[in-house]
Amino acid sequence: MKLKQCGLIILFSLIVLIPSCNRKNNGHPNAIIIGISSDIDSYNPLFSYTVDEGNVSELLYLGLIDFNWDENSGEEIPRPMLAKDWQWNKDSTSITLDLRNDVYWSDGVQFTAADVVFSYDLYSDPAIQSSRYGFFKSFIADSAFRIDLNKTFIVENPFKIIINFKKGTLPNYLDFAIPLVPEHVFKNIDRKNLITVEKQMKPVTDGPFYLSKWDKNQAIILKANEKSFLHKPNGISELIFKIVPDYTSRLTQLKNGEIDLMEDIKAEDLNQLTDLSNIKLTKISGREYDYTAWSNIDPDAYQKNKKIIPNKLFGDKNVRQALTYAINRQEILHDFLKDHGELAAGPVAPIFKNNLDTLLKPLPYDPDKARKILAGEGWKDVNHTGVLEKNGQRFSFTLEIPSGNPRRVFAASVIKNDLKQIGIEVKIESLEPQVFFQKVFSHQFNSWMAGWSVAIPLDLRSFWYSDLQNTPMNFSCYQNKNADRLINEVDHEKDKLKKHQLFKDLQDTIYNDNPVTFLYWINNNIAYSSRIQDINITALGAVYHCWNWSVKNN
Amino acid sequence: MLFKRVISSVVVLFLLISFLFFLLRLSPGDPSLKFISPELSPQLAAKVRESFNLNSPLLNQYKTFLINLMSGDFGISYTYRIPVFSVIMDFLPFTLIFSTLSFIIQITAGFFLSLISVKKIGGKLDKSFSRLSLIAYALPSFFLGVILILIFSSLLNIFPSSGISSFDTDSYNFLQRLADYSTHLVLPLITLSLSGIAVYYKYLRENLEDVYNKPFVLNLRANGCTEKEITRRHVIPNAINPLISVAGVELGLLFSGALITEVIFGLPGMGRLTVNAILTRDYPLVVGCTFISGALVIITNLIADVIKVKLDKRLLKGMLN
Repeated sequence: MKLKQCGLIILFSLIVLIPSCNRKNNGHPNAIIIGISSDIDSYNPLFSYTVDEGNVSELLYLGLIDFNWDENSGEEIPRPMLAKDWQWNKDSTSITLDLRNDVYWSDGVQFTAADVVFSYDLYSDPAIQSSRYGFFKSFIADSAFRIDLNKTFIVENPFKIIINFKKGTLPNYLDFAIPLVPEHVFKNIDRKNLITVEKQMKPVTDGPFYLSKWDKNQAIILKANEKSFLHKPNGISELIFKIVPDYTSRLTQLKNGEIDLMEDIKAEDLNQLTDLSNIKLTKISGREYDYTAWSNIDPDAYQKNKKIIPNKLFGDKNVRQALTYAINRQEILHDFLKDHGELAAGPVAPIFKNNLDTLLKPLPYDPDKARKILAGEGWKDVNHTGVLEKNGQRFSFTLEIPSGNPRRVFAASVIKNDLKQIGIEVKIESLEPQVFFQKVFSHQFNSWMAGWSVAIPLDLRSFWYSDLQNTPMNFSCYQNKNADRLINEVDHEKDKLKKHQLFKDLQDTIYNDNPVTFLYWINNNIAYSSRIQDINITALGAVYHCWNWSVKNN
Repeated sequence: MLFKRVISSVVVLFLLISFLFFLLRLSPGDPSLKFISPELSPQLAAKVRESFNLNSPLLNQYKTFLINLMSGDFGISYTYRIPVFSVIMDFLPFTLIFSTLSFIIQITAGFFLSLISVKKIGGKLDKSFSRLSLIAYALPSFFLGVILILIFSSLLNIFPSSGISSFDTDSYNFLQRLADYSTHLVLPLITLSLSGIAVYYKYLRENLEDVYNKPFVLNLRANGCTEKEITRRHVIPNAINPLISVAGVELGLLFSGALITEVIFGLPGMGRLTVNAILTRDYPLVVGCTFISGALVIITNLIADVIKVKLDKRLLKGMLN
């Protein structure tokens, strides 16, 4: 009996141990494995709402054009993709696109102009609720934002298409970069159920990769599409997005070689990676920043009857400026982020070189100046309680932060102590992110801390235009008619140089008004295996143009 | 009696999911928040909210929910956009298998360790096991998981650190696939099972010691019964009953998912699914997951009670009386 038991144990051990002796990517020598923190919900570009979903869908489906990032100007430069060439008419109200005739969907059907028209119809159809719904502001559309296909598209032949735009608008190259979907696959599906039905369908794609396998919550395996014009003969054969929810596990797997690329590495972990010979480090800067918001309007009055009146504490721009002077942002950048970032002066990152007003510098830490400004505005410690007062109103407020973010917890403590030094009482309240953001979106807070990722191309309207009904992301309720005028001019200005100047004037206006305290631009620290060759990570994203990468195995 | 038990279980489940239905919709949070970002148009979130039927009065939403419930339809997941049960069926099989394996390991190891312990109560082994069980119980699972990954994955390179399978299992035969899954589950199973082993060991060891000290055991020895016979036929059946009740509850909780273990090892289980559904306010999915967890707890408890009755007919008499 004992012999039998021992035998069973040995057999079980062999079954378990032998296969484990050959791990890592030895079975996939020409594959690159990217570690991500959560699974995607869809690879279909129509329903790709998050960054990870966009990364995957853009490798499977191509758009009419693509972009290169120009470091010198800080702008995206359009380049041909499915459209090999294009010509604008004189007043930029129409564009003629010559399409490639050597592109085939993975089921063998050729890509044509019909796919272009169909894709735009789907994207703009309210029934689909696509990721680009409501975006085509320059296109001729009805009140529900659905593109009028007859007025917009003229198909001269299967590989030549003309797109007409609404007069008085400035078409955006980004509108041509949307990944296109095959008409012959989706045309007969009830659009109300498309989002559900498409999940059961085998994907039909035309990108440099095709979807080989999707193990839910485990891995998304893409294989190189050798028939694609983007395919590089000695390029990578597989791209695997491996889902590893725990940060520490991801980092361990990166060091082990189980994954080849990882983003958002914490500043305190970079030193240990620097010492490893098989790991290289890089960063994407200027795409994300943290800010402390001061509601420019009274939230209670706005909640009650949508009245816009200045906030009792933060309504005055001089007070907001004093708060910025009082916060030692360099301390947070140094102590928590280990200087992996830079102080922010406004909403335009230094990477947008052509549009950046370099004369605007981040306000220095100067608590004495802060006190002087506040005293000038009537805030004094009348009752010697250590807290400033004005007309019986104490300068006391609650700073709301979303829970589960150590950087914001740290920053909030620093802010609380810094403001205490100048006589401002701050209570910190941490809320579950869903609750927190719901209240931010509905303008219920006086003050909070959050962060923003910055879109490319630069978009300041979404955050700073005064119309709160149509600018839901103007959370601080910034109100400035001059800023509104500049934003409208930027949207309609065709001349590049004039546009750059308008952006600078807008930054100047925002800088002077100080609607929020811009804290710092945070680097996206990326580590990748030295196996990966020909890698060029730009502001457009870590896996952008990854079809150009190759692998060198030792 | 069984029929009464089933009816009351169904009522409890119905009340649970109804309560949850209202609680979710009255709590702060908005499922359409995912659709608000600089990269998405503001009109999209409004359209999505409309499609989720969140703008209609709460009672109307509840009415629709009840009508769909009659046909076993929990609705469409806001996140995955497919029926809730389809989503759950992607995660439940793994959780059932993983939890069952862990349960078997916990019960078996706890059982054998306690038997070894009571052979010489107060001896070296007994004392060592008692101390170790305390440490095993107190050790947080996230800490244990990370340590196991560091030692066996990072340093010794014996086991994978995450996932349930390698990337190319499609080309494996059945045995290779079995071996691959086994390798991937070793560390997660140890992480999940260790504290459970300590619990069952402690429970059973106390009960066995109790029963061993009862007069009837002395009587059996005096009548010439061997120790093996006494242990197998008399002590274990008397000692095991309380453990079965605990095991029933513990198994039900295991089936609800093991969130920490699933996160550390990247496992596609019900724990992660439920928590993500709560964090993203995926109301239909939260209700569906709760229903499944509740049903499994009720079923496991029922099974535990049936086993207890089978082992000890006196319990059945008591129930009938």
